[in-house]
Amino acid sequence: MHNFEDLEDKIIEIYRQHYLDVYRFLICFTGNQNDAEDLTQEVFIRVLNNLSNFTTGSLKTWIFSIAKHAAIDHYRKKKFYSIFKEGFFKKMASTEKEPNELIEQNEIKRLVHTAISKLKPNYRAVVILRGINEFSIKETAEILQCSESKVKVDYHRALKELKKKLRMNAEEVIGNAN
Amino acid sequence: MQTDKDLFDLIKESFPLDPREDFVSETSKKLRQIARKQKRKRRMIQFSFASTSFIICALAISWFFFYGGKDTISNNLYSLGEVNSPSSINSQDPLVYIYQTHNKESFATESKTNEPSEAFHENKNISLVGERLSESLKKKNINSIHDKTNIMGILKERGLSFTKSYEVSRNVINTALEKNKSIKMVFDIHRGAEKRSDTTINLNGKDYPTVAFIVSRSSSNFEENFKNAELLHNKLELKYPGLSKGVIVKNNPNQNTYNQDLLDNSVLLEIGGFENTLEEEYRTADILAEIISDILRTNK
Repeated sequence: MHNFEDLEDKIIEIYRQHYLDVYRFLICFTGNQNDAEDLTQEVFIRVLNNLSNFTTGSLKTWIFSIAKHAAIDHYRKKKFYSIFKEGFFKKMASTEKEPNELIEQNEIKRLVHTAISKLKPNYRAVVILRGINEFSIKETAEILQCSESKVKVDYHRALKELKKKLRMNAEEVIGNAN
Repeated sequence: MQTDKDLFDLIKESFPLDPREDFVSETSKKLRQIARKQKRKRRMIQFSFASTSFIICALAISWFFFYGGKDTISNNLYSLGEVNSPSSINSQDPLVYIYQTHNKESFATESKTNEPSEAFHENKNISLVGERLSESLKKKNINSIHDKTNIMGILKERGLSFTKSYEVSRNVINTALEKNKSIKMVFDIHRGAEKRSDTTINLNGKDYPTVAFIVSRSSSNFEENFKNAELLHNKLELKYPGLSKGVIVKNNPNQNTYNQDLLDNSVLLEIGGFENTLEEEYRTADILAEIISDILRTNK
């Protein structure tokens, strides 16, 4: 039986340590702040409820596998990026920039989001985990529950696709800007 | 194009990577709430489990003390003990029935007389010998029924003659046998009317009243009764030669069955005579208990 005083403190401590990483993963995955917030909350609630079942292994990878499942479940429900909602850009913290630069930056951001949204969820997850959260190959394999070689392969293919899309579209943007 | 690192930097810039502060603190609060709820839930479960166990214990204890649980358990323990010893005889069901058709037959020392026909006593009589036999059997773990019915008293009440004693005692033993199907042996205890020299034997420096096994020829169970009486006699002879006078078959005209037709292992025991003392009678009774229990133990 758990010491119950500890449970509350435990979960808060776990939350403090990991919420940033989880949130970042989720915001890149969903592209939508609302969704990312909801999912982050859901992830940590699931962690809290299942804490007694977690006995061995890395806490971090366990939390992230919960996050990955939550993200993919969510993706299946909402098969489109809600980037196209108006609110997204308005919520972003705006930095002081010149109007032109701002527009161009927004364009590029939009391109990036679109490119990522076009990635299959598995590729998406690998790219974010490796590139944004900077997990090792081993950790990524644990989180995604697949082999390390699959991680490597998927990562390369995902990057390739991303670059292809961005290159094509970047040329378009640059072309338009001129 | 760009390097991978550049690509990722670009991606990082494309997303608001820091969550709102409000969101962070809200989620914190929510997690605390849920943790507390869980704690409460678990406490409730623990509590209800504990109180249920407590109630069950209390019930068990009250059953044990107030509703005869103790008796049930001790009875079961006894029978468990019985079952465990291989050759044990269940001491709960009685195996032997002891009665005295001439229950007031007594002894010279008690009734202060020199005539056998007058050696009768109200309570210091052959019934005491029957009782002694029953007690000795109990010591050997054989449960027996000792009948204390005042047969001769009933005769007097009904104005019946002495010859009707066996009719009266028949009722008694019949009822008893019907109620107790476990009875394997019936003994009607009497004392003889011969002189002391004919009814006493000295073994190892002590005086013992002799035993006669009396079987009625007219009983429908005669063959069985005879066999069983012989068995008793033989066993007795083996251990205490001379103590038994043997099996005596009564075959008079109009012979009384002595109620021996009621069970195929029924015998009339004449233990000593009117010139023996109660103390001497008890000695022989103890020996008889020994022999009877030996037989019952070997014949499962």
